[in-house]
Amino acid sequence: MRNILETRNLTKRFGGLTAVDSVDLVVHEQTIASVIGPNGAGKTTFFNCITGFYPPEDGQIFFNGNEALLGLSPDQITQRGISRTYQNIRLFANMSALENILVGRHPRMKASWIESLLHTSSMRKEESESLDEALRLLRFVGLSGLGDQLARNLPYGAQRRLEIARALANEPKLLLLDEPTAGMNLQETSEMMRFIRNLRDELGITILLIEHDMSVVMGISEQISVLDYGIKIAEGTPAEIQGNTKVIEAYLGRGAASGLNRTPPATAAA
Amino acid sequence: MNTSIRKGLRSGLIFSTGIVFLVLIGFTTTISELIAEGINLDTTAGSTGNVYALSLFLGLLGLWAGARGAEKSEPDTWSKATVGGLAAGVALGIVMAVFTWLLGTLSAAGVDLRKQLVQFSKANIDFILFQTSVVNGALMHMALFTLSGLAGGLIARGLRGSWRESLRVWWASQRDRISQTSAVEYLRTSTIARYIYYGLLLVLLFLIPSRLGQYWNFTLGTVGIYVLMGLGLNIVVGLAGLLDLGYVAFFAVGAYTIGLLTSPTMHGLTWNFWLVLPVGILMAAFTGILLGIPVLRLRGDYLAIVTLGFGEIIRILVKSDMLAPFAGGPQGVRDIAGPSIFGVPFSDERDFMYLIILGILLVIFVTNRLQNSRIGRAWIAMREDETVAQAVGINTYRAKLLAFAIGAAFAGLGGILFASRNQYTGPEDHNLLVSINVLSLVIVGGMGSIPGVIAGAFVLKGLPEILRQISDYRILAFGALLVVMMILRPEGIWPSSRRRLEFHDVPEEAPPEPVHPRSADLPETAGLDATSDVPVSTDVAGEM
Repeated sequence: MRNILETRNLTKRFGGLTAVDSVDLVVHEQTIASVIGPNGAGKTTFFNCITGFYPPEDGQIFFNGNEALLGLSPDQITQRGISRTYQNIRLFANMSALENILVGRHPRMKASWIESLLHTSSMRKEESESLDEALRLLRFVGLSGLGDQLARNLPYGAQRRLEIARALANEPKLLLLDEPTAGMNLQETSEMMRFIRNLRDELGITILLIEHDMSVVMGISEQISVLDYGIKIAEGTPAEIQGNTKVIEAYLGRGAASGLNRTPPATAAA
Repeated sequence: MNTSIRKGLRSGLIFSTGIVFLVLIGFTTTISELIAEGINLDTTAGSTGNVYALSLFLGLLGLWAGARGAEKSEPDTWSKATVGGLAAGVALGIVMAVFTWLLGTLSAAGVDLRKQLVQFSKANIDFILFQTSVVNGALMHMALFTLSGLAGGLIARGLRGSWRESLRVWWASQRDRISQTSAVEYLRTSTIARYIYYGLLLVLLFLIPSRLGQYWNFTLGTVGIYVLMGLGLNIVVGLAGLLDLGYVAFFAVGAYTIGLLTSPTMHGLTWNFWLVLPVGILMAAFTGILLGIPVLRLRGDYLAIVTLGFGEIIRILVKSDMLAPFAGGPQGVRDIAGPSIFGVPFSDERDFMYLIILGILLVIFVTNRLQNSRIGRAWIAMREDETVAQAVGINTYRAKLLAFAIGAAFAGLGGILFASRNQYTGPEDHNLLVSINVLSLVIVGGMGSIPGVIAGAFVLKGLPEILRQISDYRILAFGALLVVMMILRPEGIWPSSRRRLEFHDVPEEAPPEPVHPRSADLPETAGLDATSDVPVSTDVAGEM
């Protein structure tokens, strides 16, 4: 399988703090991969480096085999087919749901301002196609009929899904989801898991997600990478990660982890 | 009861501060003359018409103060309202009595207060004392405000907000009844009706200038030029969200382009107006890009400060001795050519009015097309959240430059028309106040809304012309209007539907106004819907 994303030795420092420390990560095409780690482990910073928000101090990022992403601006990276969502939802609050998706389609549209001024036939065709596509995406994320609502007036779950619809409007090859189930109840979470799987199965999009909810991570990921203090401490399938001592230590602390490995005396006696 | 007294006193003191201020700037005298004129009182010398008008004006303010004082203490009983109104009236009366007594005594003692404040002539002071003796005048103030305050309190109790509510309900029911009739429905939706509107509007736009005299054509022409600039700045500030305080710079570029290219006294160039028109617009747009390249990397307040500086730099440059041989220095440029068609020169204001209307129509067309397009959506997205706008793939730098250049081009057009109409342009035509005026009219009218900008221009540039007599207080009215607007109607006089929703959440039962025309016919089918059976949680959004 082809590598859709590869980072080599990726390092990002903020002053004395190394938020991402020499991370090597490979994501294969059409997989669902997760990045997990305790709070402050550098997961979101890692995302921000990939999407061009932060320039990394060291390392390289390759997209789709061998396209170097380093030095490109966020809009150029998005243009190449990487979309993302945010930990704290960042929609265009005072635009309608439909307009949010249309803005997301911006990199796939070509009309220049002069064409818009003259209403050329190609521009009108493109507008109407984009509108159809936006309506289709709205249906796809289950927000039919809410297209005219301002984004900020939508309920929380709907906002999350609208953000994904906006990301999908870019027709991405790789979708980065930053805590897609944060703040959701059990049922919404399981729907979101099914939805993410659908994205991969039906649209063939590779998905890289940050997630705290272990049931989600273990449930849908094919590959999990664990960051702790910016360093990748483990990588593997859900089963491998669950048994990894280093990971348990990172989450629970060294003492607790060693306690877990020993067989509790009381149980042994019984 | 204590609260009623306290609220009343507070209201009285607040109002007294305001009234003392109005007296200090001589506004009371002017408004009294206006009122006297308006209700046909005898205002010849020695008659009492103006004094009645003054009492009327002050009495109305007293009523307001009393009503306010009573209202603040939530008058559920008549006695509370009486006390509140009376307290306001007495407080106001005491302050005014002391103030006028002091003025009168000083004036009687032969002190010339005009050294301190130009409004305090003997005549004005006598007038504020109702043309009587000092003591009588002060007592009359006391009596007038006490009585009007009391009356105000009683009126406030009598009405108790119910009339506002019933008026609102009545208006809403009338509006619904009218808008639901089939005729109105037809007129609003049918295409033919729309063309008829546009046709009528065009005929009106054509007829109006020919019916108006020189003076009104000149005044409306000025308003029109501000509409042009407002629409331009509306793209920069209202759509793209870039706060530009030096917008006048591009106006100046347009004005000086036509000045230097057509005035024979400057460089001996006598270009044709129609040739200068595109050149000037392009020059302004080019200046916009040139300024934008370094400046548009800044955000928010920094951008505002830098553009503010740039606007001033242009004015100071053209005023300077250094550039005087090139740009005319403080004297400016004279003998700027006007347009002519088939050799017939534009002779009067009416011809220019047509030209300005054409310019406005062109600018409205451009704005309309752009704001409903890919680039227009990009601008609005950028205004909402610049970081995310870039992350969804918008080249924000280029989008900003484009907004800046198009806004500058409109200002350039305004500058060309302005200079050519006046046949003159000088540095003082391009001072900071122009930028502030244009920005104010965009804000007052409604950011991002084309009809709003037009309404704003009429209110801020047209009304002061109509109310010539109080034009001395233009800046005061300006400030007061801005404050009142920000409190009562922050979205502007005629906001775009988006901003109306932004400031006033629609009630749950009311269907939201469609922002996009085509989504109304959206089919409700689920299609590929993966999550349609999720019950949507409605209360979590607040935790964001």
